[in-house]
Amino acid sequence: MNQRPNEIKIESHGDILLLDIRGDVTAFSEPSLNGAYNSTKESGHKKILLKFEESAYINSGGIAVLIQVLAQTRRNNQKIGITGLSDHFKKVFNMVGITKFATIYPTQQDAVSTMSALS
Amino acid sequence: MRAEKTVVDDQTVELNLPSKFGYERIVIGGLAAFAKSVGFSSSRIEDLKTSVAEACINAVQHGNRGKPDARVLVAISFQGNALRISVFDEGAGLKAEPKDPDIDRIIEDLDPPVGFGVFLMKRLMDEVEFNRTSNHLHEVRMVMKLTG
Repeated sequence: MNQRPNEIKIESHGDILLLDIRGDVTAFSEPSLNGAYNSTKESGHKKILLKFEESAYINSGGIAVLIQVLAQTRRNNQKIGITGLSDHFKKVFNMVGITKFATIYPTQQDAVSTMSALS
Repeated sequence: MRAEKTVVDDQTVELNLPSKFGYERIVIGGLAAFAKSVGFSSSRIEDLKTSVAEACINAVQHGNRGKPDARVLVAISFQGNALRISVFDEGAGLKAEPKDPDIDRIIEDLDPPVGFGVFLMKRLMDEVEFNRTSNHLHEVRMVMKLTG
């Protein structure tokens, strides 16, 4: 059972680069997520917002890929926000410690509004 | 494991899967329907889905380790007001339970990003055990109690 590749739409919202990630997030997401993240380095954005589908299946392989992206944002002095998560995955992200390195926002609108005000 | 009966009773559902990533999705779909039918809340069902998916992924990755003819067997039953799930693989099992992942060390590239599966199972289920069975399978046995 192969996973369909993630579709990732990249949009600029002021000084925030939004990565709108469609599909499940597993170890198979690594090439698409890393590819999308690399475009943030090219654009020079210092604020990154990851938006997931609320119905997405996210497993430990996907969590590992996300943490590797977080590590890169930290090395590149980028602020990172996450939105679109179901309540379950908000809990899981908190359990594994992702919330120490990324802020979870209830909606894209909240995220853009709050992150825009960050220096 | 293909043709063997490992669990024999009239209340257990068994699923016998190819040892490939992705088939855990079939298990969690069936498991969610089972758990809903016996009264688990949607938030507990999400906990179950994550835990059992992780056990299946570990069975494929660390248990069967790419053996082409290996299978993953999942047995689900509801007894004593608790949902009991066992995931079997053909591997040797854990030498020791992995330590909890330390995200600070992973972010600093001091540890590899591994160990989240067992960590989540232990946090989300009421009981988790790792056993060696008499027919030389490795079993992850998980229990979630129906409370309230």
